[in-house]
Amino acid sequence: MNALQVQGITVTRGAGPVIRDVGFTLEPGRITALVGPNGAGKTSLLEAISGVVPAARGSVRIGSTEITKHSRVARAKLGLAHIEQGRAVFPGLTVLENLKLTARTWPRVEEVLALFPELDKRRNSPTALLSGGEQQMVVLARAFAARPKFLLIDEMSLGLAPVVFTRLLPMVTRFASEGAAILLVEQFTHLALGVSQDAIVVSSGRVTYQGSAQDLLAAPETLHSAYLGE
Amino acid sequence: MLQGALAGLAAGGLYAVLAVCLTLMSRLVRVVNFAQSATGMFGCYVAVWLSVHVGLPTWAATVVGIVLGGGLSALLGWIISTWLAEADIGTRSAVTVAVLLLLISLSFILFGNKPQPFHPILDGPAFSVNGVVVSQVTVVTVVLSVVIALGCRALLTKTSFGLELRALSERPTTAELMGIPAKPLAVAVWAATGLLSTLVISIVAPSQSNDATSLSMLVVPASAAALLGGFRRLDLAVVGGLVLGMAQGAVAQVDSLSVVRYFLPFLVIVGLLLWSQRKEVWDVAR
Ligand SMILES: Nc1ncnc2c1ncn2[C@@H]1O[C@H](COP(=O)(O)OP(=O)(O)OP(=O)(O)O)[C@@H](O)[C@H]1O
Ligand SMILES: [Mg+2]
Repeated sequence: MNALQVQGITVTRGAGPVIRDVGFTLEPGRITALVGPNGAGKTSLLEAISGVVPAARGSVRIGSTEITKHSRVARAKLGLAHIEQGRAVFPGLTVLENLKLTARTWPRVEEVLALFPELDKRRNSPTALLSGGEQQMVVLARAFAARPKFLLIDEMSLGLAPVVFTRLLPMVTRFASEGAAILLVEQFTHLALGVSQDAIVVSSGRVTYQGSAQDLLAAPETLHSAYLGE
Repeated sequence: MLQGALAGLAAGGLYAVLAVCLTLMSRLVRVVNFAQSATGMFGCYVAVWLSVHVGLPTWAATVVGIVLGGGLSALLGWIISTWLAEADIGTRSAVTVAVLLLLISLSFILFGNKPQPFHPILDGPAFSVNGVVVSQVTVVTVVLSVVIALGCRALLTKTSFGLELRALSERPTTAELMGIPAKPLAVAVWAATGLLSTLVISIVAPSQSNDATSLSMLVVPASAAALLGGFRRLDLAVVGGLVLGMAQGAVAQVDSLSVVRYFLPFLVIVGLLLWSQRKEVWDVAR
């Protein structure tokens, strides 16, 4: 299976660059934690990879295919999925309809619902009526249903109680073990590093740490100074 | 009164179909299409020209006109989804006002400012109620408006195409990130509503005031009808169109009131807007 390669990406927003010259590779079966303070540019980086915003410089590749200029739809067709920050549900669609959008077959819908019994019970409810945690489950389930090769997850935990988040994290791990390459942006740094193999810390748009997640977890002072951009 | 109301039903069916088109456009592609009926008018005028000056049989000219109406609408949709993809609904709608004016002037330039010698596609009575004759045009437009509304509802709720359209209308960026192609789907909606508008106008126009301005301004009563359904509900849009047409017909029968019928759509729009505001004030007061 192919890897997703990001090389020398710079993203410009409003006044100037919010991501400068960032590069890394997402490998099949591995989780990469992307952490950093608020406003560091994590969301902007994900958006440049999935095509929500254009990259000012640099390239994104899937295998040998350069996708930097591809449309969002074309990138999705190559197996890239992006779970946006906030609750990206379609409020007027039911749980089943949300899943049908990405699952190609009925058995796949049932397979995914089996992973989320809470959702299975409310399969015909409009998503707008679900709790925040359940809505985030819908978003995750919908992304899984598509069987993406590369999954970018932006602050799944936002607005959720830590206990709900720790219920969702194993799903991410499970999905990686099935062969997906995952980029996980999280505020709960320790939880995210705990399930990841690789880690990237960004601060003010620059990479300040890049390496093993376990090493970073074991060295709080390194994490601290990376956050501060040192 | 009954005679007037039944006479107004053909116009009502026309309003209803146009209102369904306006509702679909506003829900699915974020635009209040002020050029909805002007596109249809233009297609019909070209059809009349083709049959009068080129000698095409009426049915063939009509088909060409309908396809042209759909194509014109699709082109406009393509332009708006290309250059105003992220613009708000106000900006996108403003463009259609420009197109409305453009199509009216263009039809004056190309076809002159006289009403066109339309050949009716449908002619003659269908049946009579209490001695009041109901025309074939009336029956066909009313049935068409109901069938189109039901068909669209089934399409939106029962097919994967409809599901994708609803997803796009709720969160366009998220839908695109999932691989749902926004632009082709939007252009399809534009094309479909363009076809439907031209179809229904070509059925009803021969029996109504059919100068370019009158036909283009059908968008006003159609908006009044769509407003009844809040530009969201297709069933209420149909009801609104039919009731408005019948009310206009009934009012036209009473000599002292007959000019009121021209203002009726405006009165309905103002009334509905005020009423919806009143509800909000009430909600806030609570
Ligand atoms: N639409 C926008 N227009 C202009 N500037 C923006 C826009 N979105 C974000 N920015 C700026 O870009 C920078 C990076 O923002 P971004 O949202 O990528 O950070 P983040 O790391 O995801 O932050 P958070 O942890 O709060 O989600 C910030 O300085 C922000 O103000
Ligand atoms: Mg962010």
